[in-house]
Amino acid sequence: MSVLHYDKHTNSFLLGVGANLYQLSENRAKLLVKCGEAPETTEKEEPIKEGEKAPRAEGPAYITGVATCEGRVAVISNNKVVETFDRDFQRVASTVAIKRATSVQITDKTVVISDKAGDAYSYSTALTDRKYLLGHVSVVMDMILTPDLNFLITCDRDEKIRISHFPNCYNIHSYLLGHQEYVLKILLLSPNLLLSVGGDQKLILWDLSTSQPVQTLPSPQEDYITISYSPPYILACNSRHVTVYKLTDTTLTQTSQLVTDHDIIDVASSDSRVALLTREPKLEIYQFSEGVMSGKCEVEGEIDLSQFKDSVLPEKKKVVRTAGFAEYFERKRKRIEEENLKEESKQAHINLQEKSKETHLKG
Amino acid sequence: MTKVKYPQKRNYRQRAHSNPLSDHSFDYPVSPDVMDWTKLYPRFKPENEVKFCDIGCGYGGLLVTLSPMFPETYMVGFEIRVKVSDYVNDRFLALRQDNEVYHNAGVIRTNAMKYLPNFFRKGQLEKMFILYPDPHFKKCKHKWRIVSEGLLAEYAYVLKVGGLVYTVSDVKEVHDWMVEHFTNFPLFERYDPPAEDKAAQVLIGSTEEGKKVLRNKGQSWTAIFKRIEDPYLVNCAGT
Repeated sequence: MSVLHYDKHTNSFLLGVGANLYQLSENRAKLLVKCGEAPETTEKEEPIKEGEKAPRAEGPAYITGVATCEGRVAVISNNKVVETFDRDFQRVASTVAIKRATSVQITDKTVVISDKAGDAYSYSTALTDRKYLLGHVSVVMDMILTPDLNFLITCDRDEKIRISHFPNCYNIHSYLLGHQEYVLKILLLSPNLLLSVGGDQKLILWDLSTSQPVQTLPSPQEDYITISYSPPYILACNSRHVTVYKLTDTTLTQTSQLVTDHDIIDVASSDSRVALLTREPKLEIYQFSEGVMSGKCEVEGEIDLSQFKDSVLPEKKKVVRTAGFAEYFERKRKRIEEENLKEESKQAHINLQEKSKETHLKG
Repeated sequence: MTKVKYPQKRNYRQRAHSNPLSDHSFDYPVSPDVMDWTKLYPRFKPENEVKFCDIGCGYGGLLVTLSPMFPETYMVGFEIRVKVSDYVNDRFLALRQDNEVYHNAGVIRTNAMKYLPNFFRKGQLEKMFILYPDPHFKKCKHKWRIVSEGLLAEYAYVLKVGGLVYTVSDVKEVHDWMVEHFTNFPLFERYDPPAEDKAAQVLIGSTEEGKKVLRNKGQSWTAIFKRIEDPYLVNCAGT
């Protein structure tokens, strides 16, 4: 889930704070629109199965994700509302998802969401015609629709990155397997290169033609928060560090590192600027050049950061249940030991009897 | 050397239902490339590959039947319940010491819903078996069912094109559910096995569950499906 998004179509940053969507151009913030309003229920809402009710918006409304294409902006909110706006930020369509959405992607033909149940759905641009695309068994943490629209890439809490064909997502193309904890975020760097970060504190660069990792980097400081890409630079954020890497061919080399005063919540980057949202809460804009962030400045304009709400992700790290099976194996070991002892003593007894028979016969 | 005894079920009793969505402690490889099958099969060579998988193998009845029928084929059962998979493990240890066969079958305690792609490469399996799956009758438990639209994509991924899935259930509703899901899934079609299909013949009689159904004069329904090429990709190629 990310609330800071670089919109390359307008060379500005979009930021969701609470239910408000802001635009940052240069260093000025402008309130665009309030999101998350539940749509009026109409007959067009088809329930997913017969006898089941149509999904209803529930919970506090705050923005959890933004996606853009040339003519449209899509926003997902915590209360399950999914909306699209035109470039004047007039609401074009809205619907209520079955489960809270975790990621959203938009093209001029379709809107795709992944949700906390692990499922992905596509909609028409009018947000009708919901189609089930695929399902993971755990929450989908991030999702990419490739620019050529041929693949949908989803990553989950069970350490998997799945590459499915699109729109025939029932056909899995490949898996990228290597993380040992949840996969938090993925970025497509080129048609053949994917970057991922996971709860195992690894940053992995993948070759998509072989489905193999080409480079693995350990985290400089505990858990990753997010990653961002402005070719050829990658920004990887932990809670207090932003590490910048340069991608040359298929190798990442570190170019700089910035330490922040407060925990980072989200980051977005363009060719020349980096926007950083911290837990103060504060929004900072940096100049970004040759892979180095500098010249931090605060954002001007009417922006009420106190409204910011942390998106509540389900438990990321696995809570492993062992259900007392150690006890079972201990009891089994004892049982087998006892049985063996019994066997041995029985055998010893028989031997003794044979021996005494022998001596008896002899004697 | 102490002889391995044949396991007795009373020492391995466990509750029938287990929540597949929760995180029990499993051993599973990060990817199929690093899976060491020699731990399971004493005679496994690098050029060998596991070709059959029994999803939810229970007490191992099907594997015990199939193993001598396909002596050159490596087969594995996945079972989520600790004690039950331990039973199957001990069963094969005992069988192997008394027989020349049974070296090609084994069990892994794991969650088939989550970890199939960790064990098998794309298109690796020739046969998959889903025998007497847990019905999980309640609507709120339907997401625990082993056959669902989402999971069919994973089954299609690990099965080769032309590979087969064999299903059996003594609960008509579950059989209908499986038939509906598989038939509506673009990568599977219903398949009528020829008489020579040895696996199809032992579906009902070989498992503990199946034998119980026969004893109680109940009915079992079978359905077999073949993994086919993606019609969407075939059509795109054609245009």
